[in-house]
Amino acid sequence: MQNQEFKTGEYQNKIDVRDFIQKNYTPYEGDSGFLCGATERTKKLMNKVNDLLKAESEKGGVLDVDTERVSSLLSYPAGYIDRDKEIIVGLQTDAPLKRGVNPFGGIRMARQSCEAYGYKLSEKVEEEFSYKTTHNDGVFHVYTDEMKAVRHAGLLTGLPDAYGRGRIIGDYRRVALYGVDRLIEEKEKDRKEYGKKLMDESNIRTLEELYKQIDFLKKLKDMALLYGVDISKPAQNAKEAIQWTYFAYLAAIKEQNGAAMSLGRVSTFFDIYIERDIAEGKLTEESAQELVDDFVIKLRLSRQLRTPEYNDLFGGDPTWTTESIGGMGEDGRTLVTKTSYRILNTLYNLGAAPEPNLTVLWSENLPEAFKNFCAKVSVDTDSIQYENDDLMRPIYGDDYGIACCVSAMKIGKQMQFFGARCNLAKLLLLALNGGKDEKSGKQLAPEGESFKGVLDYNKVRAAYSKYMGWLCNLYVNTLNVIHYMHDKYAYEKIQMALHDTEVERFLACGVAGLSVAVDSLSAIKYAKVTPVYDENGMITDFEREGDFPKFGNDDDRVDEIAKELVEEFSATLKKTSAYRGAIHTLSVLTITSNVVYGKKTGATPDGRAAGEPFAPGANPMHNRDVSGALASLNSVAKIPYACCRDGVSNTFSIVPSALGENREDRAENLCDLLDGYFAQGAHHLNVNVFDREKLIAAMEHPELYPNITIRVSGYAVNFHKLSKAHQMEVIKRTYHERV
Amino acid sequence: MNESKGIGSIDSVYCGSGVDGKGLRCVVFFSGCNLRCPFCHNPETLYGKGKKIELKDLLEKLKRYKPYFRRGGVTISGGEPFLQKQFYLNLCESLRQEGIRVAVETNGHIVDEAMIDAADELIVDIKNQETDDYACYQKLRKVCAEKGKRISWTNVLIPGVNDTQIKIENLCSIVKDDDFKFLPFRKLCLDKYKNLDIEFPYSEIREADMDDLNCAYSLFNGVKN
Repeated sequence: MQNQEFKTGEYQNKIDVRDFIQKNYTPYEGDSGFLCGATERTKKLMNKVNDLLKAESEKGGVLDVDTERVSSLLSYPAGYIDRDKEIIVGLQTDAPLKRGVNPFGGIRMARQSCEAYGYKLSEKVEEEFSYKTTHNDGVFHVYTDEMKAVRHAGLLTGLPDAYGRGRIIGDYRRVALYGVDRLIEEKEKDRKEYGKKLMDESNIRTLEELYKQIDFLKKLKDMALLYGVDISKPAQNAKEAIQWTYFAYLAAIKEQNGAAMSLGRVSTFFDIYIERDIAEGKLTEESAQELVDDFVIKLRLSRQLRTPEYNDLFGGDPTWTTESIGGMGEDGRTLVTKTSYRILNTLYNLGAAPEPNLTVLWSENLPEAFKNFCAKVSVDTDSIQYENDDLMRPIYGDDYGIACCVSAMKIGKQMQFFGARCNLAKLLLLALNGGKDEKSGKQLAPEGESFKGVLDYNKVRAAYSKYMGWLCNLYVNTLNVIHYMHDKYAYEKIQMALHDTEVERFLACGVAGLSVAVDSLSAIKYAKVTPVYDENGMITDFEREGDFPKFGNDDDRVDEIAKELVEEFSATLKKTSAYRGAIHTLSVLTITSNVVYGKKTGATPDGRAAGEPFAPGANPMHNRDVSGALASLNSVAKIPYACCRDGVSNTFSIVPSALGENREDRAENLCDLLDGYFAQGAHHLNVNVFDREKLIAAMEHPELYPNITIRVSGYAVNFHKLSKAHQMEVIKRTYHERV
Repeated sequence: MNESKGIGSIDSVYCGSGVDGKGLRCVVFFSGCNLRCPFCHNPETLYGKGKKIELKDLLEKLKRYKPYFRRGGVTISGGEPFLQKQFYLNLCESLRQEGIRVAVETNGHIVDEAMIDAADELIVDIKNQETDDYACYQKLRKVCAEKGKRISWTNVLIPGVNDTQIKIENLCSIVKDDDFKFLPFRKLCLDKYKNLDIEFPYSEIREADMDDLNCAYSLFNGVKN
């Protein structure tokens, strides 16, 4: 290691970024007073970016598409926004916001995406892929009729079988700390070791993967050389550390179009280089902030080519470039550094924006000044989310990152097989209809008893368990097929090259419609619910007599049902073993697809009409949490993380005047709210502080409110990029306010 | 514990207010009031039947929110909490034993040393809309001073009713240097009156807007300086 001035450590003998951070970082407990605004250069560059973003929006969401080339590390020549003004360089294609095509997940999706925006995939690419098996081909070669049927009916939704699975975080920092040559050297060592083993299927696969990883590490070096940068050796200063790390991330988003391509936990790592440069007089606070601003500008330009349907599902064009900020170290020192502030400060310097997805790892022990600063940023921008570091650190250590919205993993040591989610509300209707899909009337599951007359809770609950068993088995099997094929045909070469060779894998399953299912069961248990049938004997609606407790009011009678459901679902999943020895995990997360899932689900016993959107994530159903914001939070806090290790997402909206009388009070109260919520073992909170009136105005006059960022399940979107249905859903959400 | 001590009549508990005292608060709305203010925005606590609740159940419920109470606590409101003396005293004592701070919102017409002493702070709404009698507030102020209790004063600002120079001068003579804020008159309670099948006496009066507030504050500050 050439960096003599860094403290030495184990990290020199083996790949261990955490050790480097722990030995060298400087915790910062002070306030935000040191921060600098944007420089003239940054402002000019950002103006140019804003013009590009406007042009992109005016063109219907896609500025340009390169239909001639297939996106990968070396497909495009170097691209710039404004070469003279850029400090950190590198674009996905040869021009900003021009999208590349990535057909490895599936050629049809790539073709349709081009066509939807008025482009045509070139003959050349079409021909090239006519000889290739894509991930999508592979999956459909194996899918059973039953798998196709539940997918079609929307019982399993959002499965990553036509595009990159994403949710994998490469340890992009390794490139800066070690340089690519050292990383290749280490992988070569692993290859030699694996060569000594029995040549069984698993070891052969690993050997082939190692070959691909090394091949792509070499390509990564070549990619940087296109920009005139040699990244074979370790970065020597802050600018290089950020540039090297960014190149590694850029390679990942050129190679893969995964739904969520998260960044990891880079701020405190960068801080070590920045503080050293400042101490040596090579950087000032202003130029340090400028570096961070420039890096974030690049991240904001990250794009993948999707179909409009995909954008509808996820509310715009998210990339989930999630950066995890802050948290505490295992030794009790905070991992907050000045660069934790600097990256949040980009929301002021560059304006509020949904990406990167800034995620604060909250601990009771975070420095008070940092808590207060985060809360102010939330109140001002609605652009950050919070996750419970005190809950995750004991499980994942202190160098984990969040993939996508709420999925924790040790960086470079764990990865996940993204498994989308199962529609719990629809599953309940299936159970009530004896295994038939309530929408089409098709027999999806083995035939069972169709319920007649007043519903008996115990009988319904037993039937629900029975069908849950059937679906969980099918769900895990379906995911096994998907991930086998993804590894085979669309393996993440550069991202996995930035992992240890021995990684721990999660099979990340999920549920949607939890609060609808829970309230429905509560209605059956505490009120009198009678199904209404159509002429074919299918249930079309329910009649209710009497009231029932609803999730979101801190009422154990119903909150217990939620707890019991996720515990049962989690345990049932584990009965079917997962591909590659993956550990089953579960999320309560819908992203914005709660709207689409609602559309695909008939009327439910809780009184929700057919087609009406679900609540997002683990949220109580809209306007049913009437006992106040804290009661609503307490209900969600009861969902046990122990069985929902892939995250429990809660999106919280409060009107400013209910949170406090002025900016100071609002920030203080938000800190108390986060401390109180997380102290109870809750996992995640998206925070929106805004008036419903403002959103209604923004919906009616989008031109007047172009930059409203709002938090949805686990990420942020531009309000104006949401479909009308999503906008209505957001406006309908419970806003905690007092009359 | 006998029944009169252990059972109170409340309308509801709202868990999560940032504007009913310092920090985050749970607000317990007691049922029943000794006044009949025509602009009241909680008519359900006046005319509604309320529900009986056992002290221990109420306490159990409120204790769940302790993690949020770094600066906040429980606000006892209503209605007029001082009408249920024993229940109020028992609730305050139990909360304070739990380390939960208590603020009480009162109309100031019942001045009782024990009840004042039981709370950590008071929020008092001055009713000068229909009367110019401020005697009770003077008395309350004196007791609070003796007991070392902080008062935050409020006053519902109603256009054309109590936004005059003279009303505001009188207000200042009570408030002095204590915390004070105007609450703009709003008609968000119309539905509540409708549900109770009662006519809202002030339905014809317009809501106070930003201009009214600014005007009142400038008068208020003018008198104070």
